[in-house]
Amino acid sequence: MSERDTEPAAQQSSGRDAVLRTENLRKTFGGLTATDDVTMEVERGTITGMIGPNGAGKSTFFNLVSGFYQPDGGEVLVNGEETTNMEPHEVTEHGLVRTFQTPRKLEGMTVREAMLVGPQQQLGESVVPLFTRPGAVETEERRNLERAEELLERFEIARLADQPATDISGGQLKLVELARAMLAEPDVLLLDEPVAGVNPTLANKLKAIIRELNDDGITFLIIEHDMGFIMDLADPIVVLNQGAVLMEGTPEEVRSDDRVVEAYLGGGGGE
Amino acid sequence: MPDDHDENGADAVDDGDGSTRSAFEGGEDTSQERIETATNVVLAVAALGLLGGAMVGLISPAYLVFLVSLAGMYALLSLGLNVQWGYAGLINFSVAAFFGIGAYVPVLLSATGSPITDSVPPVAGVFVAVIVTVVLALAIGIPTLSLREDYLAIASLGLAEVVRLVFRNQENWTGGTSGVGGIPLFFDGVPVLDTLPRDIGTVDVGFYTLGFQFWNSLLNAAIVGAFVLGSFLVLRRMHRSPWGRVLRTIRSDEELAEALGKNTYAFRMQAFVLGSVVAMLAGVYYAYSNYYLTPDIFDPIYTFYAWIAVILGGSGSNRGALLGGVVIVAIVEGTRAIGDVAFSLDLVVTQLDVAFTLGASFRLLAIGLLIILVMRFRPQGVLPPRDELIWPGARGGEADE
Repeated sequence: MSERDTEPAAQQSSGRDAVLRTENLRKTFGGLTATDDVTMEVERGTITGMIGPNGAGKSTFFNLVSGFYQPDGGEVLVNGEETTNMEPHEVTEHGLVRTFQTPRKLEGMTVREAMLVGPQQQLGESVVPLFTRPGAVETEERRNLERAEELLERFEIARLADQPATDISGGQLKLVELARAMLAEPDVLLLDEPVAGVNPTLANKLKAIIRELNDDGITFLIIEHDMGFIMDLADPIVVLNQGAVLMEGTPEEVRSDDRVVEAYLGGGGGE
Repeated sequence: MPDDHDENGADAVDDGDGSTRSAFEGGEDTSQERIETATNVVLAVAALGLLGGAMVGLISPAYLVFLVSLAGMYALLSLGLNVQWGYAGLINFSVAAFFGIGAYVPVLLSATGSPITDSVPPVAGVFVAVIVTVVLALAIGIPTLSLREDYLAIASLGLAEVVRLVFRNQENWTGGTSGVGGIPLFFDGVPVLDTLPRDIGTVDVGFYTLGFQFWNSLLNAAIVGAFVLGSFLVLRRMHRSPWGRVLRTIRSDEELAEALGKNTYAFRMQAFVLGSVVAMLAGVYYAYSNYYLTPDIFDPIYTFYAWIAVILGGSGSNRGALLGGVVIVAIVEGTRAIGDVAFSLDLVVTQLDVAFTLGASFRLLAIGLLIILVMRFRPQGVLPPRDELIWPGARGGEADE
């Protein structure tokens, strides 16, 4: 799937290779510490889950590593390179792509067009080549279009291509977002609650697609509240509580850990 | 989207096919076709009416040419703003600043009344104006384009006012409120074209004698026509390119564009500068179709005319921007005719002032009414964008529309 040059190495060495790493990552909003010295790794080739009660700092963590928030302390490394304090688009260039909790709709675009925003570093996104090298822009556009349609077909949503991107259901939009993220050729893909508000049939389909993409070499970090979904899909799972890493382990370890139960039932353990 | 749909991918589309609409003309959106037909009919009737009026001696040919040029001028303002608002979603209220720059920069370099110099040919002055525009756009854009949209609106309006006040008060550079006189013809210094309007001489056509004035305004119309055509072709290509697609993504959801690896600040800046250059060209026409230039050209009303044109025509649509330019001329010049009628009627009871106010307020009334009607019945504008933003030709192999 991915043509990034780091990718072949990743396929072979599924050892200690971290595609995303944070060190003592910290973010405070006024007196509230949303992310409290989070040090964690997402190992290349895994589907890593991230769970935690509401307010545990999961979304803040996503915003920090994807560049939407500036951390107050600590480091973020994507593919071994520091991306702390970078703009979101620069983080994306380093190979980390994210989706949002509420699917973003592109007004006035068809699904096909919305897909074509995905590919990175398009020649036709610069002004000058539009006039000096229109042939090359056309070739590139045709290739991107083909890839977009391949992906839509693979996700079994090819018939949506002509629909306005604002007219499809929330679940379909999640599929489109995932397909578009694939066009960006990420090394690690961050999904923020991919099955929230999605019916069980589609959730199963998403699960199958994520597994398939993972087999192709894409690493996933997934926030999800649906325990059945995430326990089935992810390994390892990181549990956040009150902005800090509570524990990390296999789904079985997480399920049988008293602290996790305490965190969920006790509303944060601090009370 | 109804919730009772099975959300399972392809199946849902089968269910949904009957009830879903296409956003573009390929679908069954016949209302769009009807409106386009109606627009064409109205434009054709108006054109025939004006031509007929000229033939029977009601409208002078020079005035007709002037109307067409004026439509071109407003079209340039709205084409420029359309890049900023229609493509990228920038709420820019500094259009008039660039309109004024386009007029002042070449004039200050070429007019005999200029406090700076009169030695630069106007054609070369346009290139200087492009550079000044780019620099000014960067100067306005760098502090404001990272602002949220509503702040951008306020900041751009404020900076445009700063530009206006500088031109009003910096008398040693701009002539201040008394303006600049002695503006040469646009092609002054260019072989053949500079004397062309005089060389043609006078031609008698029915009610009128076409002399220097007419040929000169025809040449000015050709200039503005070339600007409009050139801008339109360039913008059309850019709009349908991946570049245009990124701008539309930014307009719709800037965070999403960032998450997909697009440097939104850079794209917004490009749209801002490009749109400003196009709007600047309108000022060039304005200056050289007049003999005298005053800082009134920086009046924010021109910014608002451009906004009305873009909203009426359809945000994001180049064709809509052209139509908007025509509509603005219809309102501005049409209400002048209404004002004249009121004037002549009221002359009997010698209420001159009242009559004048009537014309001006009619204009504002007409604009206000039109905006309300469009917003109420057609919020996307008369001619919204109709094509998918996919590079033409890239879809060649498909059996689409």
